[in-house]
Amino acid sequence: MLAYPCRVRYDAGAWDDSTGVAMIFRSKAMPLVLSVCIGLALCGNGFAKDDAARLAALKARVKAMADETSYVEAITKIQRLGRAFGYYTDKGYFGEAADLFIDDGTFQWGVDGVYKGKARIRELLTRHGGGSMKEGPGLPFGRLNLRMQLQPVVTVAADGNTAHARWREWGLLGEYKKSATWGDAIAEDDYVKQNGVWKIAARRYYLNFEAPYQGGWAALKPVTGEWQSAVAKDFPPDAPASKQYAPFPAVFVPPYDYADGNLRAIRSRAPFDAPKRPDDSLGKLEALADAKELQLARTESVRAIENLQAMYGYYIDKGQWKKAASLFSRAGTYEFGQSGVYIGNAHIERALSLMGPEGLEQGQLNNYVMVQPIIHISPDNRSAKARWRSDVQLSRAGKGRWGGGVYENEYVNDKGTWKFSKLHYYVTFWGDYDKGWAAAPIPMDPPSTSIPPDQPPTVVYQSFPKLQIVPYHYVNPVSGRPNAGE
Amino acid sequence: MSYMKSLAGALVMLGSWAAQASAPSAADLQALEKDLNAVGDRITRLQDLTEVEIVQHAYGYYVDKAQWRSLADLFADDATLEIGGKGIFLGKKRVFEYMNTGLGPIGPRDGLLIDHQQFQCLPTIHEDGVTAETRCIAFVMSSGGWGHNYYEDDFVKENGVWKFKKLHGPFNMYAGYKLGWQDNVIVNTYPEKFPPWPDLPPSIIYLTFPSYYIEPFHYANPVTGKPMPAPSPRAGGEAFGR
Repeated sequence: MLAYPCRVRYDAGAWDDSTGVAMIFRSKAMPLVLSVCIGLALCGNGFAKDDAARLAALKARVKAMADETSYVEAITKIQRLGRAFGYYTDKGYFGEAADLFIDDGTFQWGVDGVYKGKARIRELLTRHGGGSMKEGPGLPFGRLNLRMQLQPVVTVAADGNTAHARWREWGLLGEYKKSATWGDAIAEDDYVKQNGVWKIAARRYYLNFEAPYQGGWAALKPVTGEWQSAVAKDFPPDAPASKQYAPFPAVFVPPYDYADGNLRAIRSRAPFDAPKRPDDSLGKLEALADAKELQLARTESVRAIENLQAMYGYYIDKGQWKKAASLFSRAGTYEFGQSGVYIGNAHIERALSLMGPEGLEQGQLNNYVMVQPIIHISPDNRSAKARWRSDVQLSRAGKGRWGGGVYENEYVNDKGTWKFSKLHYYVTFWGDYDKGWAAAPIPMDPPSTSIPPDQPPTVVYQSFPKLQIVPYHYVNPVSGRPNAGE
Repeated sequence: MSYMKSLAGALVMLGSWAAQASAPSAADLQALEKDLNAVGDRITRLQDLTEVEIVQHAYGYYVDKAQWRSLADLFADDATLEIGGKGIFLGKKRVFEYMNTGLGPIGPRDGLLIDHQQFQCLPTIHEDGVTAETRCIAFVMSSGGWGHNYYEDDFVKENGVWKFKKLHGPFNMYAGYKLGWQDNVIVNTYPEKFPPWPDLPPSIIYLTFPSYYIEPFHYANPVTGKPMPAPSPRAGGEAFGR
């Protein structure tokens, strides 16, 4: 650091035997008093230069903080766009949904193809959702089109003007007295900022299945040949799809266009200790900037941990055990229900493989929906804790299963990259798809004997029909009271 | 010596000239402090977004396990609660009564699942920094089956702490497990459906699936900036779109 040559010497009481200039004069036997005068003059100048440098440095920091704030704001705005889209399509506001796109925006639906421009997107959504192009927003009697937009992983480009996100859409679809349908899809979105407003540039909607309620996804038969939607036949797309694939029960991994392996989405500032600032007016501002910078880093960490947990969920969905295990710190731990505790990336990867082979097999569904985060970053931004919820949709050997549970996880800021230090999933329930969890609850698996854990379960409990309160890492956010005492 | 004195004098003058030229003025510092606080306000808004979402999400985890005291503690003293078609409950104590009398005693009961997952929250922090609104979803997986409802909630920041000012949870669809929403739907609640009785009548009368109701959005379209248009008056009817 250039800073404080005079100050340091002054503070140390040794300023008079150090600067080169002062030494030249001293070597000429300058009277001490003159030496002091000159020294003060130079130091005055030094202070000024020093203060000017400090001022410039602080200005640059404030500018950098503004940019970093814009980055975090961009994540929240993109989350807002995706969620707004869902609320519009739910209720037949397809024109409003299409208005979230740029004028020449595109929507690629499954393998059907690409629809270009707002007008075409509006009609596409209207046809799939059961609305009307002839009159205002709405749906007819008995039409259900609830399309929940969940689990975003948002990556903002370095220029701050473009971004990507991966979303999960969970659909409750159907027509009263005619059909009830589960929808499952991944959306890969591109965004662009135009005149300061974030908009959707492109959505690639990878439909995984639309499964009848009776029988559910586990009863779906493999698709052979063309599987374009009925909508595409009456309303042909403007261009072919960029990707052809087969839906569930095939296992298809939608491309991670947000850049698989781009860790920006799970990064924040590395932990830092602010230096002690001088006790002057500039120093007070520097200390204020230190505090704001830490606050900013912690808000950025919240978004990084949202992205991390969502990213983990997408890897688990597709049996990408190695990638999922790489999101843990080296000493990270993994505990699922009554599995016991697995320690370290390699052992966690093996523990995950108890769910199926790497990449899964045809007919295996492993959807772990990650929602409802309550994230707390430590005051020093070095660690974090979070509670999450998972709804689980499984299929194994033609049998469907529902699950639900709560995570209480811990995370560590490893030189600016957030990682799991502890993942602990508490199973609330498992239930047979056909009969339901109330009629046919399924108990948790005991610890594996083929890939045994490093440690026994930390908490011994039974899942539904037994119920217990999963310990909270936080106190009541309003009253500040512990959550145990009811 | 006189040479040295002149040199020293010149240096002193040079020094003070340089100091005058580059020492930060009070105006410089004020401008910088203003910039810093402006960024600080934006950071606080980001933190507010997280904190408002935490209150909403915490509510869901408390419902799961019938932790009604902890749940009621999330509300401001003068907050209101309106869920489904039951009408309006005034104040924290009545929030507790609605839960405790209407939905059953405190604490989880084996065999009775009432999971209320909260997600897709879209919070807005207002300019004043002490009021906020959010739209969210509750997706219910219970012993009885399924539920999907919205929230359009208001929050207030009192002494630096965000709390519910108004919880409004209009239902979209409730259905039993066996047939789902194809043919097994449960209509909206109403004031006399179960005790306790509300303090005020429902703010709006509406029907749930298979009928159509759209809870107004508290926010404008994030791209066009325009408020939501009204739905077609024929929405929810068989004639819609024909």
